Amino acid sequence: MPPEPRSRDVILQRLRRVTGAVRPQAPFLPRPVMRLAGESQSLAQQFGENLAAVNGGYELLDRRDAVTARVMQLVTQWNDETAERTVLSWSADELPVPGLSQTLERSGVTVCAPIDDHDGDIRARAARATVGLTGVDAAIATTGTVILASGPGKARVASLLPLRHIVLVPTSKIYPTVEAWVRERRAANSLRTLLSESKQVVFVTGPSKSADIELTLTLGVHGPRAVHALIFDDGSPR
Amino acid sequence: MQVDVSAPFDTRVRQALGDEHLRVALDRATSRLSTRRAEAMAAIDGPQLRDDARAVRQEAIDRLPTLLEELEQNLTDNGCQVHWAQDAAEATRTVREIAERARVKRIVKSKSMVTEEIRLTASLERAGLTVTETDLGEYIIQLADEPPSHIIAPVIHKRVEDVSELFHNTFGTAPTLDPSDLCATARSQLRGRFLDADMGISGCNFAISETGTICLITNEGNGRMVSSLPRLYVVVLGIEKVVPTVEGAILLWQAAARNATGQNVSVYFSMNSGPRKKGHPDGPDEMHVVLLDNGRSRVLERGYGEALLCIRCGACLNACPVYRHIGGHAYGQTAYNGPIGAVITPLLADDASAAKELPFASSLCGACRDVCPVKINLPRLLLDLRRDMAESGHAPVTERAAMRSFARVMQSARARDRAVSAARWLTRMKLLPPIRTWMRSRVFPGFARERFRRLWSSRARRAGKSSDAS
Repeated sequence: MPPEPRSRDVILQRLRRVTGAVRPQAPFLPRPVMRLAGESQSLAQQFGENLAAVNGGYELLDRRDAVTARVMQLVTQWNDETAERTVLSWSADELPVPGLSQTLERSGVTVCAPIDDHDGDIRARAARATVGLTGVDAAIATTGTVILASGPGKARVASLLPLRHIVLVPTSKIYPTVEAWVRERRAANSLRTLLSESKQVVFVTGPSKSADIELTLTLGVHGPRAVHALIFDDGSPR
Repeated sequence: MQVDVSAPFDTRVRQALGDEHLRVALDRATSRLSTRRAEAMAAIDGPQLRDDARAVRQEAIDRLPTLLEELEQNLTDNGCQVHWAQDAAEATRTVREIAERARVKRIVKSKSMVTEEIRLTASLERAGLTVTETDLGEYIIQLADEPPSHIIAPVIHKRVEDVSELFHNTFGTAPTLDPSDLCATARSQLRGRFLDADMGISGCNFAISETGTICLITNEGNGRMVSSLPRLYVVVLGIEKVVPTVEGAILLWQAAARNATGQNVSVYFSMNSGPRKKGHPDGPDEMHVVLLDNGRSRVLERGYGEALLCIRCGACLNACPVYRHIGGHAYGQTAYNGPIGAVITPLLADDASAAKELPFASSLCGACRDVCPVKINLPRLLLDLRRDMAESGHAPVTERAAMRSFARVMQSARARDRAVSAARWLTRMKLLPPIRTWMRSRVFPGFARERFRRLWSSRARRAGKSSDAS
């Protein structure tokens, strides 16, 4: 008796019979959905306002130097409910502000940048942190979205587990639209590599929310209840 | 009164219509979602978005076998283990075996229609596994032991009071009318489940073939949790979910958000391309992808490929006057309800007579077609299904007999005249069983006082007289 054909082959054969031969052609490329509101506002301003429109927060800082002090203030303000001041963070090298982690540590804040989250101790500590701290791979002005790629030094949990997420956004990483970001990645031949090397690329647009109960908006269902962007001019053009 | 999803169709509809709370909840929710959708589509070039979204999906279905092979190759290159399943039994067995091999005990699931379709949770629970739904709405109905009643808002049928009582009875929390309190309870209950789970399971909104990427749309963040925290991550997806390019997936993400909830984009859009690599701080150690047919190739064979373009936004439910009155449970034991459910539930079923009432549960008003982001001609598909059912003998006996006599009578003027006279009497006697059944859900227009043929001949006589006078 011949072996039973594998499900894969059965399914593909059935589909082939119906779809027949389709001439290979260049894939259809959709047009951008949103446009920038206008030229009068900077990308940074529009990014911030669109993030605020989806219940996020933002501040425009004029210098990179101002970031550290502001992060410190926020951590103190948000951590006063608990005795332990723990920040769940990307590693120092991955944050766009040099020396930030070290300054926090020196001020008595425990900075937890997981090396391996499957280690039980790290996970327990990560789960207790009330503030998360990350940079961005890109930010999108029209939607107020931040794009975060995971990878070495860039723990997924930092933007996911804590109740509050501070996201550091250098202006050089802000793109007008999500389509513009993809186009640039595609042109640089780095789109596929980014996805397959990072394993998870996530677009985050504001705090976690649900409207499951009577369509009433509630924030912080599973992810952070607050997403707060500190936008600063890093002086390097994109 | 609750709708019993396993009761006959007529009973389900009667139960739904008799439930005053349900009517109010449905009316409120569907009108708000419809308004938000309309505003979100008016804020951009809506027709362009629909044209482009349709084109992306059409290309995917036209090139389905090729794209699936490409997807399989790229998923494998990304380190995923790919499984194929012809039906629900094979898919659930596959997931169960993955769990058994890895000695999994606790599973967290994010909302997924395809796993509802194959009743995955029940199958895993029978195997002794603990499965927790983590979408807030799905979690509520899991606690209440009910099926979802809307594709994107599964507890659309529950009031805040109902949820409060459920949580009070389950966790002993204080009664509250504030959804944020209920949300906080769910957050703390579910956080531990996420951290302790050995395996995460999700569906998939789009699978990008060119990169081997599984895309998940969520607002709550549970999709990120199940794909990031447990050691194992299993994705179950219908084979129609494939999309050729990253650009296509990003377009459909925006189309789905605008049409489902009226958002520009969802809070989270996760693109997962395999298990974590060495040196990554987190992410699953293993990622499995189950490609499920379960009737989809048959949908194509029967010429209903258009139904596979659907991106499950739920806009057609909110627009449908029938859904807005009866809600999701009246559609029976199916994961998919509303107009798209009335099309794909009978199509996906093995048995041609299954859910045979659903294509008839529509007034064919076309509201669903007008809101569909991929422009599926739902009324056309419903009519085609009705024709198929009539031709294959699944229409009710009385209806078939009635249609046969109608055809005979209409072929002769004498017979028609006599039948019309008889019908005048019969419609007055509404109690006769076949007519009574038929008229229960229909308004029959009354006969005119004077018959047309008589009117016509008397007019002709009068016209003859007046022309004489001139």
